[in-house]
Amino acid sequence: MKNILKIMNLNLYYDEFQALKDINIDIENNKVTALIGPSGCGKSTFLKCLNRMNDLIEICSIFGEIEYKEENIYKPNYDVINLRTKVGMVFQKPNPFPMSIFDNVAYGPRCQGIKEKKRLEEIVISSLKSAALYEEVKDRMKKSALSLSGGQQQRLCIARAIAMEPEVILMDEPTSSLDPIATLRIEELINELKKKYTIIIVTHSMQQAARISDNTAFFLMGELIEFNKTDKIFTTPLQQKTEDYITGRFG
Amino acid sequence: MNSIKHKGDSIILTQKKNKKEIIDSVVRLLFLITTILSASFIILIIIFISIKGIVPFVTDNNGIGRVDIITFLTGRVWLTGTAFQSNLYSVGFIIINTLYIAFLALMISMPIGVLTALFIAKVAPKKIAEFLRTVVELLASIPSIVYGLFGSGVILVFVYNLAEAFNIQSKGGNSVMATVLVLALMTLPTITAISEVSIRSVGKDIELGSLALGATKTQTNFKVILTSAKSGIFASAILGIGRALGEATAVSLVAGNAKSGPSLGIFDITSTLTSTMLEGLKETTGIDYDIRFSVGIILMIVILITNLILNFIKRKVGNVDVK
Repeated sequence: MKNILKIMNLNLYYDEFQALKDINIDIENNKVTALIGPSGCGKSTFLKCLNRMNDLIEICSIFGEIEYKEENIYKPNYDVINLRTKVGMVFQKPNPFPMSIFDNVAYGPRCQGIKEKKRLEEIVISSLKSAALYEEVKDRMKKSALSLSGGQQQRLCIARAIAMEPEVILMDEPTSSLDPIATLRIEELINELKKKYTIIIVTHSMQQAARISDNTAFFLMGELIEFNKTDKIFTTPLQQKTEDYITGRFG
Repeated sequence: MNSIKHKGDSIILTQKKNKKEIIDSVVRLLFLITTILSASFIILIIIFISIKGIVPFVTDNNGIGRVDIITFLTGRVWLTGTAFQSNLYSVGFIIINTLYIAFLALMISMPIGVLTALFIAKVAPKKIAEFLRTVVELLASIPSIVYGLFGSGVILVFVYNLAEAFNIQSKGGNSVMATVLVLALMTLPTITAISEVSIRSVGKDIELGSLALGATKTQTNFKVILTSAKSGIFASAILGIGRALGEATAVSLVAGNAKSGPSLGIFDITSTLTSTMLEGLKETTGIDYDIRFSVGIILMIVILITNLILNFIKRKVGNVDVK
């Protein structure tokens, strides 16, 4: 199975307003897929369809199919809870829970019913290591997560997602509230993580997309304009609109 | 600044200032005066109660004899009424009663109040939530005497019948249980309203973060939302306990005014610091009158200490490090 996610004819409406128009994309396994486009183009909305976070918005209605491992996640009685453990998410603003660092990472596994202390400890330590945060926090696991810096908090949120042993990690502009150094660390981390996980990242920064992604999708006004290998998109885009955007003519 | 500190210079100074600066300093002076006024009233009240309350311990109370402060604080009998003419007053058991009742009342109203708040803030559909919020606010504004009437008309009957079912003869339902139920009812709206505000103000991003990790709504509500709101919930408990300790009217209608104790059985009659102060206040003189001010001092001290302890715990609980 080369493509872990297949999006077919996806249409999404907020009440009357159509936010996504007939989107078709296949997401490759263990690759970083970047979603770019100007604000309000639907890229974040699209991302939230993939773990059904849009379910929480009452006025939102979705048509079409999204297959995760060849199963339509929008079919009736689909186990959304299970989906969200397999398709993790990192948000734009770091949102650690107001608990200790340890409890933040252990939260997801605990919700799945893992109580054994030793097992939780293993999960927390390995997740923090994967998120390149362990060395910085190993002596203060009991301290509040809110005492960490913004970049550390975001890596904690990534660790929190990793603790669920997901297959896909969705990232919604994960570095937009971070300084350049913290951003760089997250980007290095993404490079490391793609060995194990499929990553889909929404980003405003085209340099970031170019630096870290394998494939890039360009959205405009709810439509998918172009989807291709990242180097193709940034060197020889097929669409005029893509070229206009990446050369900075609008957006 | 100068215009407040050195009144003599202020005229010359303000003349030089432009109009806005004059208004500024006048307003600042106004704030200062009102603050001093309101603060001084509190201090005046404390001083007045203390002076009156100290009388039974320092004079011989027109021949009845001095009240011994140790017996007063630790004793188990309150010999009252002009008929007895004694100096055997003690509030030791009443302090225990008061704390015991407030504690039990909070044990009932805290869980119910917090769960109601959670329901209003996170579970209920918008329109129902709006309606419930109004109901809670209305309940919070009902005068205490109305709760007292409800207590003596309904709760006393209920407790009386309940006691009878257990083959216990209660004194018309006047009991620890009736007092606890009335106080639980009275503290419920305050606790609900304040907890609801703090639960509602928990960031949406935290909630979404939890849901995105595959937590159910219930898990999210209990494990993340309530933990995030715990400082506000604790504040509601502090206010609730303040009301439970300080409520007099409603309590004195259902407590039964026990003269000895402490009353720990739930069907025993009881008395609290406030009900003891209120009882017969208008019909008594001499030491029996003065001693109620002494109880007032004790009540203020009890509330102060309780608040200090709760605030201390709140600071500890609010800090994740202690977990």
